[in-house]
Amino acid sequence: MSLLHVDRDPEKPLLALEGVSRTYGHDGVPVHALRGIDMAVARGELLAVMGPSGSGKSTLLHVLGLLDADYTGTYRFDGDLVSGRDADGLSALRNREIGLVFQQFHLLPQLSVLENAALPALYARDTSPDVCEKRARERLLQVGLGDRLDHRPNELSSGQRQRAAIARALINEPRLILADEPTGALDSKTAQEILDLFLQLNRSGSSIVLITHDLDVASAAERIVHIRDGQIIDGLL
Amino acid sequence: MGSFRLLLRFAIEGLRGQRGRSLLTMLGMGIGTASVVAVVSIGLVGRDYVVGLIEGVGSNLVFVYGTGIGPTPTQLSFEDLEQIEKRVRGVGAMAPVLDDAATLPIRGEPRVIAVLGTTADYADVRNLKLIEGRFFTQTEDENFAKVAVISKELHQEKFGGSPVEGESIRLFDMRFRIIGVYKEGVESAAALEKSEAAGMVAIAPFLTLKHVGNARVVDTIYIQAESPEAVATVVDDSARVLRSQYGSVDGFTIESLDTYLALVNQVSDAITLGLMAIAGVSLLVGGIGIMNIMLVTVSERTRDIGIRLALGAGRRDILAQFLLEAGILSVAGGVLGVLIGAGTPLYLGFVYDVPVPVSAASVVVAFGVSLSVGIFFGLYPARKAAGMNIVDSLGYE
Repeated sequence: MSLLHVDRDPEKPLLALEGVSRTYGHDGVPVHALRGIDMAVARGELLAVMGPSGSGKSTLLHVLGLLDADYTGTYRFDGDLVSGRDADGLSALRNREIGLVFQQFHLLPQLSVLENAALPALYARDTSPDVCEKRARERLLQVGLGDRLDHRPNELSSGQRQRAAIARALINEPRLILADEPTGALDSKTAQEILDLFLQLNRSGSSIVLITHDLDVASAAERIVHIRDGQIIDGLL
Repeated sequence: MGSFRLLLRFAIEGLRGQRGRSLLTMLGMGIGTASVVAVVSIGLVGRDYVVGLIEGVGSNLVFVYGTGIGPTPTQLSFEDLEQIEKRVRGVGAMAPVLDDAATLPIRGEPRVIAVLGTTADYADVRNLKLIEGRFFTQTEDENFAKVAVISKELHQEKFGGSPVEGESIRLFDMRFRIIGVYKEGVESAAALEKSEAAGMVAIAPFLTLKHVGNARVVDTIYIQAESPEAVATVVDDSARVLRSQYGSVDGFTIESLDTYLALVNQVSDAITLGLMAIAGVSLLVGGIGIMNIMLVTVSERTRDIGIRLALGAGRRDILAQFLLEAGILSVAGGVLGVLIGAGTPLYLGFVYDVPVPVSAASVVVAFGVSLSVGIFFGLYPARKAAGMNIVDSLGYE
């Protein structure tokens, strides 16, 4: 498959955070989840963000994935300022440009594998439902689930569920794949297969950010960013 | 439009995921809608029924009678009748009634029956149906003929229902030939409280009874106006005549059926309004049921909503999906309600072979109302769904 995009300026990073801070205000006691994060992801890069639990890596994932907009600082995606955009603008951008993969898969249990994979394309609304399903079928074939299209998620093994979720993340041909502990709920053999799938996607041009606390996963990446107490402690270019 | 179909598909998928609960909610809504349809139908049927009763007494009818209470004369004299016959305009037919009584031996027992003296127009004016024989004629009246028409009840008691040809009864020590048997056009015209023709009654010509009977006053004068428009003239002129005789009309009542019809409309409007309020409450209950279920659904599907938002659904998509779910529940409930509310009377009407006016308007109203109820009560849960924080809802288990 091809994940070719017309990039405006290939020299510039795909995304760049500058001075991003996120503070939760629970019961008046502020919790500083991110403190002035500066980071960039280059095009075609496979980057791992590592840190122990409570380090702020989940918050960073939410910011990168445009799931959380309540931060300070600036976030540019492909040169465009995305910080400060409204919820629907972020939804549309997330829909087209960011493929999300979660530790818990987050498949909808009442839908078939095919329908799950088609969902982001259906919400994009630029093609008919038939075309969406056709594209979903192609992606599912690509991740090796061609024979599980009509199954419900609960009829799949956890490795197959994560493959379905990856197919779903790929369907709109996003510029960034953002995965949150994608192997966290898998046994080591299955985890390796999923990791191999990410590597393969990366080789064919996808920019991928893996958030993990697992060194084995992280070591597969070209570059590791370590995060602790809401700050990046190394890995700066 | 493609996007509406997509959202519709999501909404139906959502409802399918909780079939039992959806059906129960629809049932609640259906009962509310059924009660609206039923109430509107009952209102219409009931009104038609009562109006039919009143109109069965006779059309364009005005009654003039003495109230029997008050310091001034309160009973119509023969002089009053003459003046009214002479001076009231717009009259189509007139039937003054003398109310008398006589004792008849019936199965060996003396029984008191009512004897009415009236003109040949009475049968028409009061809408009597002749079961047997005929009513007397104007000529018979003018010639003091001793003939009588008896009620179905008297016929049954006195003659056991056998043919009356050649039979007679003794009234005021005179033999009256029986020429016919009648029943009232609308049996329960007695609903009008004052039906002199109901029960054990013999009707004789006015002039005959005036001479041989004991009545010294005219009980009631029935005046059939020549047209619906003339009813008011008849009422006004009658009042004028009585006022010129007595200085006031205080001792008399002059009524037209319009008075009753207006009353019936007023009462049935009030009853319909009351029933509508009750039906409204049941719709409200149905609506709250929908809101309740939708709130539970939204809360249960928090993670589902979070996933959809994360995958790029807009807030509006989520809002529309849940509004559609509520709308489908209420409209499906509405369909069910219309089936019950219109089907039951139609079925009963078919079985008992009576025309049942299920108004199309009530069906349309019921649909419209149930859809609005669904949208209205679905709005709050849908807004709650659309306003969810993505990160929080993804972590929700």
